[in-house]
Amino acid sequence: MKRPLIITIICIIGFVTVTLTFPAVFSPSVKKIGDFVPALYGFLVAGGFISYIGLWHMKQWGVLLFLVVFFTKTLFLVFINDTGPGTIAGIIVSFVFGVILVKNYPKMDLNL
Amino acid sequence: MLFFTLLKESVYFAWHSLSANKLRTFLSLLGITIGIFAIIVVFTIVDSLENNIRGSIQSLGDNVVFVQKWPWTFGPDYPWWKYMNRPVPKYDELFDIQKKSKTAEAVAFRIGGRRTLKYKANIIQNAVVSGCSYDYYKIKAFDISEGRYFTESEVNAGYNVVILGSKIAEGLFPNNPIPIGEEIKIAGKKAYVIGLFKREGESMLGNSADKMVLIPFNFARLILDVNSENSDPFIAVRAKPGVTNAQMIDELTGIMRGVRQLKPLADDNFALNETNLISKNFDILFDVIGIAGWIIGGFSILVGGFGIANIMFVSVKERTHVIGIQKSLGAKNYFILLQFLSESVFLSLIGGVIGLLLTFVITFFARDVIDMDISLTKSNIILGITISVLIGIISGFVPAYSASQLDPVEAIRSK
Repeated sequence: MKRPLIITIICIIGFVTVTLTFPAVFSPSVKKIGDFVPALYGFLVAGGFISYIGLWHMKQWGVLLFLVVFFTKTLFLVFINDTGPGTIAGIIVSFVFGVILVKNYPKMDLNL
Repeated sequence: MLFFTLLKESVYFAWHSLSANKLRTFLSLLGITIGIFAIIVVFTIVDSLENNIRGSIQSLGDNVVFVQKWPWTFGPDYPWWKYMNRPVPKYDELFDIQKKSKTAEAVAFRIGGRRTLKYKANIIQNAVVSGCSYDYYKIKAFDISEGRYFTESEVNAGYNVVILGSKIAEGLFPNNPIPIGEEIKIAGKKAYVIGLFKREGESMLGNSADKMVLIPFNFARLILDVNSENSDPFIAVRAKPGVTNAQMIDELTGIMRGVRQLKPLADDNFALNETNLISKNFDILFDVIGIAGWIIGGFSILVGGFGIANIMFVSVKERTHVIGIQKSLGAKNYFILLQFLSESVFLSLIGGVIGLLLTFVITFFARDVIDMDISLTKSNIILGITISVLIGIISGFVPAYSASQLDPVEAIRSK
């Protein structure tokens, strides 16, 4: 199944974002919020990374995992009161990606 | 049940893979171990230093304002030549503040200086001797392990009594753990030991009670120069509950300006210092140290992650034949995926646990060497394990996924 160009772009942006955000998992500022916050944030980043691999292989579970991670991450950011302009921009971009992915969902493979 | 069977098998495979290639495993895990070690050691040291400083500041009191000659923080263009001409706080000013302040719960005066202590043949030179007014115990929190604090009449009459820190007591009385009632000499003057401070350990701010020698102010007049700047005199004022430092500073500014008869347009000739100024400066320092550790450890972990990914790709390649057999016998894709993923998490976790153990050993020995409470905290253990597991998931997922997607026929054929 050929991967549309837009999904390739989303995956590349996603891999770059994961690489850039992963160090934030163990940054002193995240650690200060709470004992289990780095763990929770880390699993969201790892979940995001796995979802992009699924999307790269045109798998439906990639879309589902992307949406789960997106909603959980948004709740997490609201919970820790991180509502800066960068965060809002990130949520908007992820929402747009989500819409594109949902549109392409029927073209994707159901299996693992 | 299936999960536990899978986990058991994965651990078995991981262990087999580890023990079959010891050197390769060692080199692969080294990156994770060093990364976790670097990050957690830095965080442990920063946390311990922070706790120590916060403890020291709390013992000074976080709602205490110090009336002094010099401010604790300076701007870039501070007029130091003006500060040079300021008078030092005087003992009499203590009573003015006590009388006029409505926001102060306790007010105390303290001076200090280095003097020689002597008990028979035992001599301690340059010990810090502090003279204080009676209410000092309401300002600085300290525990007395043996004996008692001064009485008000002892302080007012200038009795020659002294309370010793634990290290000073050990130095003067090596064979007497409770030297209450013993006579020592402070700069040649006789003084009787009436109390011992409880052992506190080293303090980053240098205000540990272990090396403190506390005497009544009116006795200190005979030993220390009360009008000298070298005696570092200050008046410490603790706010009443519910009163903010800002409110108290406003009031103290008015009282001190009145006491010193300053004209309306004249600058203050005193400084009002707050303990939170110290903690703010240390917060900046600790943030910088934390970020440095984060960057150093982050790169080690990145390299370690590549090492784990590499070992997992090799592992998949080596066991392609076995994967083919498993799949032909009915193993699902997710079974193969989870098998390799848990192997990579297990490998990474071993590296992380070794890193945490190294940190524990280092902190264990460091505690004895520097006499400070350095300990691996729960939050740092959670962080170390989390990072290990995440590295295992991220670096192991691609090899595990590629293993799960193998065609069973092609896999069985491979050597």
